[in-house]
Amino acid sequence: MTSSFERPLRPQAAPAVVADHLIKRFGELEVLKDVSLSVAEGTVTSIIGASGSGKSTLLRCMNLLERPDRGELAIADEAIRFARNAQGDIVGLDRRQLQRLRAKVAMVFQQFNLWPHLSGLGNVIEAPMRVKGLSRKQATALGEHYLERVGMADKRDAYPAFLSGGQQQRIAIARALAMEPRLLLFDEPTSALDPERVNEVLGVIRGLADEGRTMLLVTHEMRFAREVSDQLVYLDQGCIAAEGTPQDVFDDPRCRHFVAPAA
Amino acid sequence: MDFSWLSDPFYQAYLWEGFVNTLWLLLVSAVGGLLLAVAVALARLRGPRPLAWLAWAFTTVIRGTPLLVQLFFFYYGVGRLLEGVPGIRDSIFWPLLREPFFFGALTFILSVGAYSGEVIRGAMQSVPRGELEAGRAFGLSSFQVLTRLWLPRAIQLCLPTLTGEMILLLKSVPLVSTIAMMDLLQAANIIRDETFRVYEPLLLIAGIYLATTVVLTLVLRLVELNFPGMQPTQRRWLPIR
Repeated sequence: MTSSFERPLRPQAAPAVVADHLIKRFGELEVLKDVSLSVAEGTVTSIIGASGSGKSTLLRCMNLLERPDRGELAIADEAIRFARNAQGDIVGLDRRQLQRLRAKVAMVFQQFNLWPHLSGLGNVIEAPMRVKGLSRKQATALGEHYLERVGMADKRDAYPAFLSGGQQQRIAIARALAMEPRLLLFDEPTSALDPERVNEVLGVIRGLADEGRTMLLVTHEMRFAREVSDQLVYLDQGCIAAEGTPQDVFDDPRCRHFVAPAA
Repeated sequence: MDFSWLSDPFYQAYLWEGFVNTLWLLLVSAVGGLLLAVAVALARLRGPRPLAWLAWAFTTVIRGTPLLVQLFFFYYGVGRLLEGVPGIRDSIFWPLLREPFFFGALTFILSVGAYSGEVIRGAMQSVPRGELEAGRAFGLSSFQVLTRLWLPRAIQLCLPTLTGEMILLLKSVPLVSTIAMMDLLQAANIIRDETFRVYEPLLLIAGIYLATTVVLTLVLRLVELNFPGMQPTQRRWLPIR
């Protein structure tokens, strides 16, 4: 379905996000060791790797839910203005720029993180109204469109506590889409779901990939990652051990032991 | 039992005045106190260190001293000091500052601020971090996260406890009869002194307190039930099985 809400897809492959030599430490532990990653507009990148390899941390650096300690980051062609100390360590951020850029990068969480005191529609229109300054009427039209898109139009008035995990996650996806972001981040979007609910959410994400939306996923669903991704990144102990097309990575001897069960 | 004094219009007027004053003091203290409570909770959770310490000290002092002592402290101590301030009797605030109502409200607001401040702090800490993180990830400002997400969720979580705090507050109100304010207990005391009936006026106002508590409980339960996003399993009118 085409609609006036959907932005025309960009033909050129300008990067939606570029991370350059990111280093992230939690205390003494170095979680990301010099990681560089770029996601081209209109493409899907999946990050795979074992638990504790730094996948989620890398993803969360992309909208600065985690602040890297070193490195450069550019979102939607705009370099993040980090404040740095004499050693070059990042010590601060420009709050205004951060809020503005976060509106361009929407995120879907493992635990859905819907706001329980807001209805399905309320969850979807909150940020478009408060952050993008849309009127309630505009935001509602937008919200209904994206609820329809994820097959949740009939649950617009339902509160999260009344919905299954799969339904909640689909609303969370509509909430992300309603920001009409340049980049969609998915942090293990099916890991908290019952097995029989996984496919309804993967189906929605697959549809978005087919539309040519720019997405960065962290997932344990190897088969799915292989099918939908243009680029696959295999992270091992905070380093990129292999990257390239899914075929390249799945064939790479360094990660065969990790991806083998799905291949 | 002799309730014949109830037909005396003077006593009816005392009781009515006492009842209205009680409700009025309850309302002012509840609203002012809960606003202060939110400020105290925020100061402790997110304030700069000196402010967090100040909030902790405030909470400790208020919760660590008897309410009646605080009431006397403000009415006899601070009240006397205020009287000595030059020119205060001519100021527009004097009609308010000389009233026991003012000192009662001040004491109760501080009390609710301290007790409910801790309740709200606990509730704010119980709101899952992910919900607030989602707000930040979507570009909401800290203030928007606070007013749109954090506080509504925290209040939803601690509403039953706050109901209890409000009931305790209602029954702290009779303390103001000791600073010559016309509340229900003061009305009962006057009736006792004039009619020499001890138990009947007390029984009557006990009944009025009980009825007010029941109404207050039901009203706040209604607020709780109509809070958006209530868990389906908790949707029962009376909180009993």
